[in-house]
Amino acid sequence: MLVDAPYIPASALEIEAQKAVEPGRPGPAFGRRLATLALRGGALAVFVGVLVVFSVTAPFFLTIGNIGNVLGQSAIAGVLAIGLTIVIIAGGSNVVTGGIDLSLAANMGLSAAVYASLAQAGHGDGVAIAGALGTGLAIGAVNAAAVTLAGIVPLLATLAVMNVVAGLELVLTQNTVVPASSEFLSALSAGGPFGIPVLAYVLLGFTLVVAAIVQYTPLGLRLYAVGAFPDAARAAGLPVKSFVAGSFLTSGLCGGLAGILSVSYLSGSTTGAGDMLLPVVVTALLGTVFSRRLVPTVTGTLLSALFVGFLINGFQLLNISSTLVSGVQGLLILLVVSATTLLGRKENA
Amino acid sequence: MTDDIRSGVNRRNLLKLTAVAGVVAGTGLLAARTAAAEDGLSLKGKRIGISTAGTDHFFDLQAYNAQIEEVKRLGGEPIAVDASRNDGKLVSQLQTLIAQKPDAIVQLLGTLSVIDPWLKKAREADIPVFTIDVGSVNSINNSTSDNWGIGKDLALQLVSDIGGEGNIVVFNGFYGVTPCAIRYDQLVNVVKYFPKVQIVQPELRDVIPNTVQDAFTQITAILAKYPEKGSIKAIWSAWDIPQLGATQALAAAGRTEIRTYGVDGSPEVLQLVADPNSPAAADVAQQPAELGRVAIRNVARYLAGETLPRETYVPALLANKQNVGEVSRKLGIG
Repeated sequence: MLVDAPYIPASALEIEAQKAVEPGRPGPAFGRRLATLALRGGALAVFVGVLVVFSVTAPFFLTIGNIGNVLGQSAIAGVLAIGLTIVIIAGGSNVVTGGIDLSLAANMGLSAAVYASLAQAGHGDGVAIAGALGTGLAIGAVNAAAVTLAGIVPLLATLAVMNVVAGLELVLTQNTVVPASSEFLSALSAGGPFGIPVLAYVLLGFTLVVAAIVQYTPLGLRLYAVGAFPDAARAAGLPVKSFVAGSFLTSGLCGGLAGILSVSYLSGSTTGAGDMLLPVVVTALLGTVFSRRLVPTVTGTLLSALFVGFLINGFQLLNISSTLVSGVQGLLILLVVSATTLLGRKENA
Repeated sequence: MTDDIRSGVNRRNLLKLTAVAGVVAGTGLLAARTAAAEDGLSLKGKRIGISTAGTDHFFDLQAYNAQIEEVKRLGGEPIAVDASRNDGKLVSQLQTLIAQKPDAIVQLLGTLSVIDPWLKKAREADIPVFTIDVGSVNSINNSTSDNWGIGKDLALQLVSDIGGEGNIVVFNGFYGVTPCAIRYDQLVNVVKYFPKVQIVQPELRDVIPNTVQDAFTQITAILAKYPEKGSIKAIWSAWDIPQLGATQALAAAGRTEIRTYGVDGSPEVLQLVADPNSPAAADVAQQPAELGRVAIRNVARYLAGETLPRETYVPALLANKQNVGEVSRKLGIG
């Protein structure tokens, strides 16, 4: 551990930093740096620009209540996207062969269904919370086993698990809405201090904790090393498989947590959890542009979730059809993917 | 036995009576509508939040668009949001709508347990809440079709069509949606008095989305399970999109002796009812656009200080093989 500690940052993280401190370095690296700067700055500029435009044009936009609403509304997608981000960090960001967890949305659906069913069967919140988190963790464990033990590509492994989980939810709920109410759930969906929903505080607190672990501890550095340079990480003695398995367990737990939030937000478990999958994947991928080095980060994913949330909110306040939101989102994704692909090609050239 | 027949005949007469009553009420309503236009109702300077669970069905699209037009016609500003059948989106939109502090919110459809806490929050924020087809205690007035009447009419038509005996297959996936629950309960109430009519267990669960394909698949499976002609007499669903899939499945399997029943008056299903060779036997048509207009006019009345009844009923029209042409004309379809 002590031996690899200085080694990992050097391999995983400081290459970029070194490039950055060598001024006037000619060739592709310089171009890449410029392009990176433009893309990153551009994304943030777009975000800030959108906020400014909405603040000026949309009534009620710049109120604490509304911003709190957006934070609260982004909580479920945000928690899921952060779970996915961890898997992407540990598995590498190649969309096809890298880390991905497609079972997250279905996981949330099943965890919510387990929560609501337990609550309806007369169990207390403690049992229901344990049930939901346990469900999420179990799904994460299946994913972890399929990827690390059976060696299946995460894209396929989690796709299969997604279908199993969605099927289990249908069996459990018969595709009906299972209402649930308790003091804990009401407290979670109520307004908190300063008129900001409790869910908003949950999202911010959750992001803070996960970001601290992933971005400011040796554990987090190793997670990045495992994803970006698996061979180097293995050579340095890092248990690559354990890290990958751990990332799936964590994302499974995030699915369970999102399930609990969803039960409180929707006063029960409802159908159609699968609809969340693509927005969550999009949020996690889009998060890359909000990071300093165009890599997946927890805070970047939070910004991305909030960006989408503010877009939808602003469009509604301006009385513009929300159908435009997915168009804007798609455009941004296309921009991000093509930009990162181009940048990668330049680096390899 | 004689009692059974007699009660069947009575019921059939009753059915005719209700149909007549419906037409009479409909005419009365049309008259009321012209009067309303001259009523001096106005929403000038008012912002009306219009929230719908979705617009992917004929019914909700018609009601949604009619609401928007009616608000504009009365001089108000509609803030219309469509949740595309996604409960999370529905709740977020309601939450934002409450923050926008409109002069009223009209909620069209939606699962009660999901939306009710948010309708309550709207009420607590002093925003008057109106609903269409949602029976919520937090709503000032609910514009709806008389779902007890719809359920009873459809059930009586079904029972009389199959001669008071046989197995019926039922789609009951949306018992959580109040109108569907009422229609289903009415079916059960009617069937209770026809001991030879059996609802096949387990009941089927209709789904959203992919309702048509899913109903097609489920009915195809049921037909394989009950291969002899006559072992199934009818298929009932609380709305007519599963009926569409079921009817297609019957046609594909050549089991056109089975009849299908549904509610909503979707144009494609009414066309099937009109086709003498189609198994689609009856579809109770609601008047969605009229429901939307009535709800908005109720908002205007309330804001002008009038007291409203808990529920405003808009008559529904049962379309069967005999009268489907007439009903379609009345709805302005085809």
